[in-house]
This record gives sequence, C-alpha cells and structure tokens, in this order.
Amino acid sequence: MGIGALLGDVVRSLFSKPATEQYPFVRYAAPDRLRGKLVYDPEKCSGCQLCIKDCPSNAIELLVVDKKAKKFVMRYHADRCVYCAQCVDNCRFECLNMSNEQWELASTDKAAFEVMYGKDEDIEYLLQRAAQPGADEPPCE
Amino acid sequence: MTNSSGEKFVVPIGPQHPALKEPGQFQFTVDGEIVTGASIRLGFVHRGIEKACESRNYTQDLYLLERVCGICSHVHATAFALGVEKLAGVEAPPRAEAIRVLGGELERIHSHLLWLGVAAHEGGFDTLFMYTWRDREVVMDLLESISGSRVHYSLNVIGGVKYDITDKMADEIRRGMDFLEERTHYYMKVVTTDDTFVGRTRGVGIMTKEHAERLGAVGPTARASGVERDIRFNAPYSAYKEFPINMIMDTTGDLEARFIVRIKELFECYRLIREILDNLPESDLTVKVKRRIPAGEVISRVEAPRGELLYYIQSDGSDMPARVKARTPSLCNWATISDVAIGHKLADMPMLLVGIDPCFSCNDRLVQVNRPNQTDLNWSWDDLRRYGIEYYR
Amino acid sequence: MNLSLHPLILLLLFPGGLFLLNIGMIYEWADRKLVARYQNRQGPRWFQPLADTIKLLAKEEIVPKGVHKGLFFALPIIALTGALTAGLYVPLFGFEPAFSFQGDLVVTLYLLSMMTLCMGLAGANTVSRFSLVGATRALTQMFSYEAPFLLALLGPAIAAGTWNIGEINNFAGQNLWMIIAQPIGFVVAVVGLMGKLELPPFDAPEAETEIVAGALTEYSGRGFALFRIGKDVELVIGLTLVVVFYLGGISNPIWFIVKSAGLLLVVAALQSMFARLKIDQTVGLWWRLGALMALLQLVAIILGRYLGALIR
Ligand code: SF4
Ligand code: SF4
Repeated sequence: MGIGALLGDVVRSLFSKPATEQYPFVRYAAPDRLRGKLVYDPEKCSGCQLCIKDCPSNAIELLVVDKKAKKFVMRYHADRCVYCAQCVDNCRFECLNMSNEQWELASTDKAAFEVMYGKDEDIEYLLQRAAQPGADEPPCE
Repeated sequence: MTNSSGEKFVVPIGPQHPALKEPGQFQFTVDGEIVTGASIRLGFVHRGIEKACESRNYTQDLYLLERVCGICSHVHATAFALGVEKLAGVEAPPRAEAIRVLGGELERIHSHLLWLGVAAHEGGFDTLFMYTWRDREVVMDLLESISGSRVHYSLNVIGGVKYDITDKMADEIRRGMDFLEERTHYYMKVVTTDDTFVGRTRGVGIMTKEHAERLGAVGPTARASGVERDIRFNAPYSAYKEFPINMIMDTTGDLEARFIVRIKELFECYRLIREILDNLPESDLTVKVKRRIPAGEVISRVEAPRGELLYYIQSDGSDMPARVKARTPSLCNWATISDVAIGHKLADMPMLLVGIDPCFSCNDRLVQVNRPNQTDLNWSWDDLRRYGIEYYR
Repeated sequence: MNLSLHPLILLLLFPGGLFLLNIGMIYEWADRKLVARYQNRQGPRWFQPLADTIKLLAKEEIVPKGVHKGLFFALPIIALTGALTAGLYVPLFGFEPAFSFQGDLVVTLYLLSMMTLCMGLAGANTVSRFSLVGATRALTQMFSYEAPFLLALLGPAIAAGTWNIGEINNFAGQNLWMIIAQPIGFVVAVVGLMGKLELPPFDAPEAETEIVAGALTEYSGRGFALFRIGKDVELVIGLTLVVVFYLGGISNPIWFIVKSAGLLLVVAALQSMFARLKIDQTVGLWWRLGALMALLQLVAIILGRYLGALIR
C-alpha cells in the first residue's frame, strides 16, 4: 500500500532526455528488412507474372514491350500497395525487392504514386505509344 | 436522475467520444452517478471482409485477414494459415511454427502493453500511459526488425513463414525481453500498490466464475474470473505443443485481477520467447502448398491477446475459399460489460469498458438490418442504397 | 517594494489586466511542459498557450440549442473578471498588492471561487448530458475543497494576526517559513489548490474519458478561451497565495519567480503521479482527511498563540 509508487520514475524523467522522437529533424536508420517502396530490376525479369497473381491489392502491372527480347516495364502503384512483400516472395528470379531507404512516401498528388520501372528506352517507347491517339496500351496480364 | 420531461437520463458514450477512439456505442442510464442500465450497439464500420475473402485466392486472403485488426494482426493470419494448411494436409516445418509462435507472443506483449496504457489513461493515469507506450516501442522495434513492418508483420505465408530469425536478432530480442521484464515488474508494483489506482480497480466490476461461464467470456477476462480457458493450453496448436505455456489464472474477477492476469501473462511471454530462442529448431521455413486447396471445411482456433479467435474455412477445391468466417474474441466479451455495469458509478464505466480490452475492429463483422415489411433476404444494390438513405435521414 | 502608479495602469496593465493574462499563459506553459517532462515527453513550445488562445478567440462560437443566451455569453466573462479582480489583492511579482484592505483575504478567496461557480452554472445552463454531469461534479467538488483550503490559509493568517494579504506577506517575510511551523496546512493548501483548479488527480469534473470536457463541453471559441485564461490566471494567483502564506512571502520579483516555480514543480509532479480520483473519492478525501487535518492545525495554532500569550 502506498501512494506515489511512480515517484522515482517521475523524478528521473525530469532529468532525462524526452523519449519523443524528433522525427523530421532526426531520422533513425531503418532496419535492413524494412518493407518500403518496391523496386524492380528489369534485367532479370522473365515475364512469368507470378508476382502479379498473388498481389492482394493489384498494385503491380507488367507491361510487355517485347516478349521475345524479354523487354518488360513494371508499373507500380505505390498508393495501392500494402507492402506485404508477397511479390518479392513469389519472384523466383529475385528481380523484386523492397527498399529500406525509400519509405517516406507521402505526397500531395496522386501522380507521384505511379512509378514505372524498366529500361529507360522501353519506358520512353511506352510513353510515346500511349501518347499516340487511338493506340491502346500494350496488354498486361 | 430524470430530466424535466420525466425521461431517463442517458449518458451516451460513443460512437464518437474521447473515451473510445473506435466506433461503438454504449448508452448508460444513470441515476446521479450510479448506472442503472447499459446497452451496447456495434457494427458501425462493417467492412465486409469475410465476403471479400471469397473473391480472392488463399494467399491474398492472408493479407486481407491480417488487416481485420491492427493490434492482433498476426494471430488472424496464423489462424487462417493453420486452417488452410490443415485443409491442404500439410504441416509447416518446425522452425516456421516456432517463429509463428514467437511472432504471436511478441504481438501479445505489444498488445498487453498497449492495453495497460489505454486502461491507465481511462483511469486518468496518463503518466503510466506514457511510460508503457514508451516501453512498448522496444517490442515494436523488434517486430519491425524481424519482419519489416511495425503493424502488419506479414510473417505468415501458407505453409510456413517468410522471415527467419538470425542469431543477431535473437540476441536483440533477448536484450529487449530483459529490459521489458524489468519494466513489467515495476508496472506490476505500480498497478497493485498505488492507492489511487487500486481505488479504481479493486472490487470494481466483479464477475464470478459462474457468471463468466454463463456469459461466455474468453481470454484474460475469463481467466481473471477463474475460468480455465486458454486455447494455447487447452488445445495447443502450432509450436505450443513443443513449447507449452502455463495458464495464468486469478479468481477475484475484478478489474484488478484483469490487470494482474495480463501483466503475469507478459512474464509468461518473456519466458516463452527466451525458451523458443534457445531451442529454435533447424529446418526449412516453408513447405510447398498447392494453389488449389482440396474441398472440405475446417475450424481453426488460436488464442489471440484478447481471447479465443476462431476461423471457419470452407473450400470447394478451387484456389479461393468458398466461405470464411471469423469469430473474434471481443465479440464474446461484450455481454460482460452490460451485465456487470449496473450498480457501478459512471466514473467506473470507462475502466470497465477497457477491462475486457475491447477491440472494435474485431467486432465490425455484423450488420444489423431492420426489415420492416420485407421478407426477401436478397437485397439489390438499389435496395441497400435506399435503406442507407432512409437510415441516415 | 512600493510603486505608486496610476490606478488605471494598475488595473489594466500592471499588475492587473494584461500582465496577469500573459503570466497566466506562461505558467500554463510551464505547467504543461513540466508535466510532459515528468512523463518523459517533449511538451509544447513556449508559445503554445498563446497560439491556443488566439486560435480559440478566432474561432466561431457555436451557441447550442436550449441554452440561455445571455448567461451563455456572460458566464465566461464573469469568471475571467473574478479571477482578474482577485489578482489585484495579491502581491503578484513581489510588488505590494494594487489594492488592499483589512479582510481582503476573504474577498480574494471568494473571487477565486467565482470561476468554479460560473463553470458549474455554464454546465447547468446547457442541455448537454456531459455538461450536466460535469456541472454537478464541479459544484460538488467546490463544496468539498472550499472549506479545507480556506482553513489551510487561515492558519498563517491567524499566526500573523491579520486578514490582510499584504500584511501577511510582510509577516511571512520576517518570520520563519510557515511551511515549517505548519506543514499540515501547507499540504492541505497545495492539494486544495489542485482541487480548486481541477488539476489531475482531482479532474473528475472534466474527466475526458467519462464526460468529454465536463461543464465546458458545449463551449467553443471565445467562451472557452475566456474560461481557459481565467483558469491560468487562477493558477498564478493560487500559487502566489500559497507562496505568500507558506513559503516565507515574496519581497521581490526574483523571489516570486523562484518560489512559485519551485511550487509549480511540486504541483506538476503531483499531477503526474496519480490516477484520477472518482468524485466520491475526492469528496471523501476532503471531508474525512483534508478538513480534519486543517482543523487540527488551526486548533493547534490558536492554542499555541494563546499559550504563547500566557507565557509572555
Ligand atoms: S515474378 Fe519476377 S520474374 Fe516473374 S514477372 Fe514478376 S518480377 Fe518478373
Ligand atoms: S508488396 Fe504486396 S501489395 Fe505491394 S506490390 Fe507486392 S504483393 Fe502487391
């Protein structure tokens, strides 16, 4: 029985640094396994689309530029993604990964959330094609 | 107390109220400060998760079900994965099962510490609230370093787990447990000896064993009343067979007993985690499970931080379940509030509410439909829309 | 220190009016910061109370249905006025009280109670259930802490043989600190002050987890801002009173700051150490313990004086 069982801690807290994280000013290093933004390596991709099959939120699309030459572009919707890493788990060619550096993903406009991954010239080609009137996007899935 | 027109004086708590950060409504009829009646209304944010499961494949469902709740996300996925594995006739490798349990116990620590803080806050003990939540960061950081996320760990896949525990991590976890154990001893002391706090918990909301059994209470709420109900103990699943737990019981049945049971459970968690880390079996992390699950049905039960969590899964042989039903622990405990509340003071209500560690997102799987003169159970989109407009008019 | 200033300046700028408002906000900040640090948090920056006040003043004031409009607007003003007027009789910042007369102690105490009374009325004025419960609690609490607090302040007054705050201040400055002679009185006074200000753990009248904001639930904008400032002012005056009576008085601004800050340190620690008391526990504590202790103290002092006179 007693009052003020907390006294010791209360006094100690007064003289110690606040536990509050000074977030925007001080950034702590994220752990290695942190699941941040998805990154894609077009060099290794075989176009098997296994990653897309199990994505719970339809956050990734594979745009085929040239199937034979294994030219693919991945369109990633960071706003739909739930960062579950199932796609990373599914890919047998290790071309997907979740970054532990890019995790501050807030943005005021939606466009920032649509990311195209692939070789520059492929993206260029796709964008040009999309810009042409009447041209459909290459089929995905 | 009645107002001038002779109506009963009802104090509503929720769906929007500083005591409840989640939607649920409680109406307490009071006479002065004494509560004379209580009613509960739930289902404000029905999300249709069970139905949504039927149009996704098993792997996708895992992530969907993990999002039933933000506090006990891992047990939902575990319950579902265990059920599906049973249907498919496979068993996850021992190391995977151990890691599953490890995740579950880490989650229990974070959930109980969170609860301790919330309960302290409801009792106006904000300092304890701040301290427990500060210390809870330790276990959150551990979970983040194991799995890569603070809330939805996504440890499970069907047939195993995704992430391994390295030796370095094991050391980190041990260090975290040592720190938390020391702190928990301290909180135990505060909760059981501080006069102001004890004044709010001891002898408040007493529920006898018979009462708890009759109301079908589960989890720590039931165990504080002396009901031997812990799935980890009664029907060990996953790695609880190799790493048995001791069931924590109390017989007083008041709010203080619920504090004591949960805090003692924390010690049990620390012990179990150390034991698992010391005896982590060596094996693969996953077994292969076919995409199509053989037809059949299964019930999978696990012990969530709040009590028994039950999943019913029915498969028709395709890669999507035919029916998924979740029965969450909070749902079983509500009746204990409305039953016990009567005769207590209004000031006891928030404490009594958090006494069962209510989780509202757990609950919102029922929708109440008033059908005045309609017998058809199938409603079209238009019907629903009209109903909605009528309802909120 | 004796300043001869124009009464209007005394009233509006210093030490009344503007100065009191500002120092009230500074003390609110100090209080919040200290509680935060006790809880191992960061706490607000120095301008937070000012920013809050400006924001509240700029906000739309919603008049709920079913209230008496006149009362709704008048009550916050009366509450603030009461607190500000009380400030004139107190040796704020170590200066002589702006106004004083024999017996101003009693007047000051009653002026300080205006605040709670107004809050109670404000709560009862609306039809909101939270406000009604809050008002009942606020008034109940007022009736219970008023007597012990008064008794606790009477101790030093009797020792000094005067009912004039200024004179008690001088007396306290020349004699042994009264906290040593009357420790019980000091404890009762500090706890009474916290009860008066509805600080935790005596915040049942505004327990947010039960009744939202208690009596002030329906107040927004200007009315709420005025009540808040009134409370801040009351905090300063209450601290000053306790310092004057028990901590050896205040003879200059430096002593004022040092002593009242020291007292605030204690008050903030007390705020962070306990769980909220239920209203019946508060009342029980007061009448069973507070009043009794203060009364004992008082009897002891009177006896002591009587015996002292006999010996002499
Ligand atoms: S699973 Fe891997 S290889 Fe297959 S399409 Fe996706 S990224 Fe390419
Ligand atoms: S992390 Fe999950 S949600 Fe995001 S793209 Fe991969 S599978 Fe889809």
